[in-house]
Amino acid sequence: MTLTRFMSKNAFRNKRRTTLTVLSIAFSLLLLTLMMTIWRAFYLTEGSAESAQRLITRHKVSLVFFLPYSYREKIRSLPGVTHVVNQTWFGGQYKDAKPENFFAQFGTDPEELFEVYPEFKIPPDQLRAWQHDRAGCVVDADLAKQHGWKIGDRLFIKGTIFPVNLELTIRGMYTAPQPTQSLYFNNTYIDEGYPQIKGLVGFYGVLADSPQDVPKVAREIDEEFRNAPRPTKTESEHAFQLSWIATLGNVKAFILSICLAVVFATLLVSANTMAMSIRERTREVAVLKTLGFTKAKILGLFVGESVTVALVGGLLGTLAAAGLIAAVARSPQTGLFLNGMRVTVPTMLVAVVVAAVVGLVSSFVPAYHASRQNIVEGLRHIG
Amino acid sequence: MSTATVPHTATQTKVVQARNVSKVFKRDAFEVKALDEVSLEIAAGEFLALMGPSGSGKTTLLNMIAAIDRPTSGDLLVLGENIFRFSDGQSARWRNEHIGYVFQTFNLIPVLTAFENVELPLLLTKLSAQQRRDHVMTALKLVGLEDRVNHLPKQLSGGQEQRVAIARAIVSDPTLLLADEPTGDLDSHSATEVLDILKRLNEDSHKTVVMVTHDPHAASYAHVTRHLEKGMLLPPA
Repeated sequence: MTLTRFMSKNAFRNKRRTTLTVLSIAFSLLLLTLMMTIWRAFYLTEGSAESAQRLITRHKVSLVFFLPYSYREKIRSLPGVTHVVNQTWFGGQYKDAKPENFFAQFGTDPEELFEVYPEFKIPPDQLRAWQHDRAGCVVDADLAKQHGWKIGDRLFIKGTIFPVNLELTIRGMYTAPQPTQSLYFNNTYIDEGYPQIKGLVGFYGVLADSPQDVPKVAREIDEEFRNAPRPTKTESEHAFQLSWIATLGNVKAFILSICLAVVFATLLVSANTMAMSIRERTREVAVLKTLGFTKAKILGLFVGESVTVALVGGLLGTLAAAGLIAAVARSPQTGLFLNGMRVTVPTMLVAVVVAAVVGLVSSFVPAYHASRQNIVEGLRHIG
Repeated sequence: MSTATVPHTATQTKVVQARNVSKVFKRDAFEVKALDEVSLEIAAGEFLALMGPSGSGKTTLLNMIAAIDRPTSGDLLVLGENIFRFSDGQSARWRNEHIGYVFQTFNLIPVLTAFENVELPLLLTKLSAQQRRDHVMTALKLVGLEDRVNHLPKQLSGGQEQRVAIARAIVSDPTLLLADEPTGDLDSHSATEVLDILKRLNEDSHKTVVMVTHDPHAASYAHVTRHLEKGMLLPPA
């Protein structure tokens, strides 16, 4: 036996209580890992190299206002701009309103979409087929797999924003580094189906010469339309995604408050367990001190015990979170929100370190008191 | 009854020298004098029984010899050391090296096997795992429990638990073995076994044994019996 073995035997001496503590810490750490993963995906992931080179131009006031189609050529003529493609969020309903049937649909220009999004890969013959069919569409290959679609299949999409229904034929399937859960069709379909918005688009995707050009291009685009009836707001794709997330509310504060609540709850659970466990062993502490255990050894034993329990819970929680997110991200029922999300090793490490710190902090005070306990008093203790 | 028989292993070396040791416990406004000017010398190799009614100060005196309690006044040298000058850490290390302590209620760690309980004090030493194993097996053989190494305390009888506790007390080969009513929780058969072991440790291994007891039969195993009453050590009979 070693002192470490002695410590671990003590950690699991009351199996029911330790199991419950481990589970409560594991559940808390699962939540924490989930929150950290969402935070990372929203705010820390920079996206692909192509994404860093891309900008989104929308109406200055809000995404719900359209921009004239005529802006496209003006943007294209600005220095530093390579390609521009219009996109309009259709927001239609496929089959029914069930979440598993939700995916994004955009009206766009088949001639330039894959120039602005070069990381999307599509066989050339499929792209040509789409470009030649105004009622054709291309879909994310993952999305097609989820729904069992094949090339040539016809899709009926009911308009909910626009009073027009789409009857589309799948002409191609593209792959992307991250699943996009999207369908693209020719914007002419909306123009002709709902002439009231003919000549208007939702927003523009702009590809700059280089990532360094992005701020300059954004300034120049907005400057170009500063005095126009429909002024623009141009930002990097990443910033655009963040502003999209911001429409959900103060997500940062929400995530932070959940994280803090989780850590605090874990701290209380662990502290309560350790306080009970140490109090029950008052007499044992006195015996150990009689045998020659010093204050430091007693302190180390109890803190180590708590850290061990917290680490086991933390590891279980982060592994469960990794498994859960992997399963949810691959599930056909998953919407755009969790798509492509995964728990990284650094996130898991942070969660495990948080668990260890919680174990240490929660046990320190009771362990310190135990280490300073008077031997005679301890030997008299009944309980 | 006191016996003044000179122990056959006794030398003139004094293991314990207490002079006018007093201990006063303060509880709120009350003061309780647990020991009153106790002077006592214990020679190396002696088997001393401390007797007296409950509250007479026997355990308090034993705890002081083990450096787990401090006197309010007086001098106490144990193995030639003024142990009360030690820091807490020094006291703990000194106890680990020189003192074996046997409790009335055994006080084994319930999650550890007999082997692991006995090994516990050795975890604080620099002995290798193999050396520790040898020491533990020797101690368990001395108390006749070498076939119970993997038993948990709850799988042992009271007498066996106390024998494991004695093995734990002697495993680090201490000079001084202190036993606080070691037979108090045992039936007469087990008590006799435990007393035989203590006697053997005193006679064969030359351990100095100080035993607190209420039981005159247990005290009869000792070479010397001293009585405490109301904190005062009565003169030898």
